[in-house]
Amino acid sequence: MTGEVALSVKNLKTFFYTNNRCNKAVNGVSFDIKKGRTLCVVGESGCGKSVTASTIMQLLPSLSRIEEGSITYHAEAGDIRIDQLDRDGKEMRRIRGSEIAMIFQDPMTALNPVYTIGFQIGESLKYHTDLSAKARHAKVVDLLANMGIPEPERRAKEYPHKYSGGMRQRALIAMAMSCNPKILIADEPTTALDVTIQAQIFRLMDELKEQHGTAIMLITHDMGVVAELADEVIVMYMGNIVEAGTVDDILRRPKHPYTRALLDSIPVLGRGRNQDIKSIRGATPDPYQRPKGCQFSPRCDFATETCSAMPDEEYITETHRVSCHHYKDISQHD
Amino acid sequence: MLTFIIRRLLIVIPMLLVISFLVYLGLELTPGDAVSHMIDPEAASQMSPAQFEALREALGLNKSFLERYATWVYNMLHGDFGRSLSGGVPISEIFLDRLPATLELSFLALLFSTVIGCSLGTISALKRGTATDSSLTVIGMLGVSIPEFFFGLVSILIFALHLRWLPVGGRLMPGYETFLDRAPHIILPALVLSLMMTAGVMRYSRAAMLDSLSREFIRTARSKGLPEWRINFVHGFRVALTPVVVLIGFRLPTLIGGSVIIEEVFQWPGIGSEFIGAVRGADYPLVMMIALFSVFAVLMASLIVDVLTAIIDPRVRLS
Repeated sequence: MTGEVALSVKNLKTFFYTNNRCNKAVNGVSFDIKKGRTLCVVGESGCGKSVTASTIMQLLPSLSRIEEGSITYHAEAGDIRIDQLDRDGKEMRRIRGSEIAMIFQDPMTALNPVYTIGFQIGESLKYHTDLSAKARHAKVVDLLANMGIPEPERRAKEYPHKYSGGMRQRALIAMAMSCNPKILIADEPTTALDVTIQAQIFRLMDELKEQHGTAIMLITHDMGVVAELADEVIVMYMGNIVEAGTVDDILRRPKHPYTRALLDSIPVLGRGRNQDIKSIRGATPDPYQRPKGCQFSPRCDFATETCSAMPDEEYITETHRVSCHHYKDISQHD
Repeated sequence: MLTFIIRRLLIVIPMLLVISFLVYLGLELTPGDAVSHMIDPEAASQMSPAQFEALREALGLNKSFLERYATWVYNMLHGDFGRSLSGGVPISEIFLDRLPATLELSFLALLFSTVIGCSLGTISALKRGTATDSSLTVIGMLGVSIPEFFFGLVSILIFALHLRWLPVGGRLMPGYETFLDRAPHIILPALVLSLMMTAGVMRYSRAAMLDSLSREFIRTARSKGLPEWRINFVHGFRVALTPVVVLIGFRLPTLIGGSVIIEEVFQWPGIGSEFIGAVRGADYPLVMMIALFSVFAVLMASLIVDVLTAIIDPRVRLS
């Protein structure tokens, strides 16, 4: 079962329209999310990671739309083209929460302050299962206990403000996992939490993956997290996938200049305080005034004239793909 | 919660004392006393100073300011609210007579403005940016900016005089007529009185609703696959309710005080019209009682708001 494709995204383009201008937030990305695997999506702020996730869940703001491409959810009953579903239609609502669930960046604001945790988790069950009120309550307590929340019976009756940040995120994961979704999308789930709690949350997610065979799409900008959790990695820049592969492909054999620069910009424990941390020069371009061709070329040390044309995606190995004109020349120096 | 309520009620007593003293002082500082207002100038010119003195003594006006205030407080504490200086009627009787009319009007106006204001505000927020939203905004601005006596007169002209749907004014005494006979009389004054507040509640609940709908828990609710109505009402509206309840609660005393003009326009025999007469006549026992009643209403409203917010919002703790 592990390794089977749960969801495939093909040439997805999501554009935002504001003030008669068009922001091509996601500009043609393709990837697969596999059962029992963790796919990490990395990239700097504004590269389209979160928009990709929201597009899969159809949680986009009203001034945006899927311009091209397809999102296919491989359900047990047959394939479902998510991109063709009505945004808030019945079918999409059925998939949300029960088949594909999502957890968000900031657990402090993601819960409704005026309802108990138990009520909010129970809501998912109410809409996606036939359980009775009593059975729902039992299930909620069970879920909270599984997430390592002490005294779940009492805690279920409490309001979010009585929970710490880490506990709220656990409650949100409990909510997301309540209907045993096939896919869990986590949008920087630990950015707002401190490091010790981060480790706990990730361990929890790893356990879920092992136990239920859930496919996880984890959005992050923390390379440490990638090394720890990822099976596959996608590197995004300005709405495109610049490089994708297994975690070994990306971390040990990075080909794209952006991936390499990203890895060079992280301090490594044990190299001492005088280690050379390189920042990527320049700034992320304005999404409304994009560079021509390769989006990274203005900041790239290896850019040449050929880079003013968009590079094609090339498969180096069966799993490892990269979009760069010069990746062969660059990796010769290794 | 109970200790909180009891403590808040106990605080009311010293506050009432301080405020009553200030009002008493204010009345003392106004020129003239009740005697000079009671007797018309022509009769007064024929009265001897001794007669004036006798009248003052009879009304207890010849004593010093502090003495009079002390007596007033003493009587109050013994349940004696005094008599109106101009008519000699016990003030408790005036209150029993007039207060029900004012409360009836105020609470109905409160009900109208809450129900209409909240629904229109919510509709406005859910249809943000559409023609419905813009027209409601314009109506809201008109409602806030046009004075209520004008609305009162216009509505009498249209609904009472031209269309003859509703009576011009007045109030039928309870007990003598059926409810159906009495109800039409209160509709116009209550609607007009509620109008300004409706506009306020509408603008406010629209803003609160928009704020609540832009919060992240709405996205969480949507990601759970909940239907749109549940996201908007169970999650959005419930959170937007807290600030709206605070606004409505604090408008409550204003509504009782603000009904003065409407009571005049619609000949509604409430406490507001009585108040105007009492101030003009320097009828200090009556003014004192009405002022104290308003203060009491403000204090009670703030207590009610506190208790209601604690009930609605679990994060609020009363202590």
